[in-house]
Amino acid sequence: MPLIAAGQPTDFVSLHTAVKYVAGAYIVVFAIILIYLGIMAWRLANNQRELAELHKLVEERDAEVPEREQEPAL
Amino acid sequence: MSKHARHLRGLTIATLVFFLAGLALTFFYAPDDVNQGFAQKIFYIHVPLAIVSLCGYVLGGVFGVIHLRTRERIWDLRSYTAIHMSLIFSVGGLLSGAIWAKVAWGHWWVWSEPTLVSYLIVVLLFCTYQPLRFSIEDPERQSMYASVFSVVAGAFVPLNFLIVRLSEAFVHPRVLNLEGGTLPGSMALAFYVMVIAVALLFATLMKFEMLAKETRGQTRRLRRKLLGDDAVAPVGRSAAPL
Repeated sequence: MPLIAAGQPTDFVSLHTAVKYVAGAYIVVFAIILIYLGIMAWRLANNQRELAELHKLVEERDAEVPEREQEPAL
Repeated sequence: MSKHARHLRGLTIATLVFFLAGLALTFFYAPDDVNQGFAQKIFYIHVPLAIVSLCGYVLGGVFGVIHLRTRERIWDLRSYTAIHMSLIFSVGGLLSGAIWAKVAWGHWWVWSEPTLVSYLIVVLLFCTYQPLRFSIEDPERQSMYASVFSVVAGAFVPLNFLIVRLSEAFVHPRVLNLEGGTLPGSMALAFYVMVIAVALLFATLMKFEMLAKETRGQTRRLRRKLLGDDAVAPVGRSAAPL
């Protein structure tokens, strides 16, 4: 006999109680995934900030090079 | 474009579509279980998480074998990420299972239930993976030892699963068996869509994590190139492949 079968719901637990537990289970799972995504997003933001800093540095260096080239040779 | 970024957008969209379809089928199409009523809906997330996490551990072992054969660091990163993601999915599986057990059995945890305890043993075994990596400073040795561990522990997973199945056939509700499962059509459809959704989520997050680690490494290399070695903080001991 199958242990799980489709059919009419019985009063195994009241629907009100079951809804709370089902909602709890799904919320816990999605919370875990969201926490993980939050940590990843935080790391990504740090990385983007560092990249922007490096980008700015490269632009500053590029701007300095033509200025030096324009200086008259002694 | 990094090879980890390839197909990431398509994979993310497919994950979202399958998740939404799976949830819709679970709550609006699949009927309530005759014995457990509405509480059985927990199975549609709990069982896929458990299945995908166990497959992830085995996948980590497979990547470990490839790493040992090829000695390419990318396979160590893949093995690490698969086990890392499996641990996160396992926590979800254990917690959702505990909630189901509370509704069905009146207890959050039942120590006499072999499926639960064996799954916990597998999770605890893989919980030692990261401390093992962290305890080895030399990156080369770290990756080699970690791969050996992933292979041995990965081989333990199907063995453990089979032993429990052979010894206790009717204690834990069986959603899947060798005859094709005990679920009727509408429930099976919702269940398999959720399995695919969770598997896609696993693949998406794994790719996302590998891409993040690769990007972090590239940023450090770029910083070192532009500003010199002194501008980059020493990495220090880490469990993650660098």
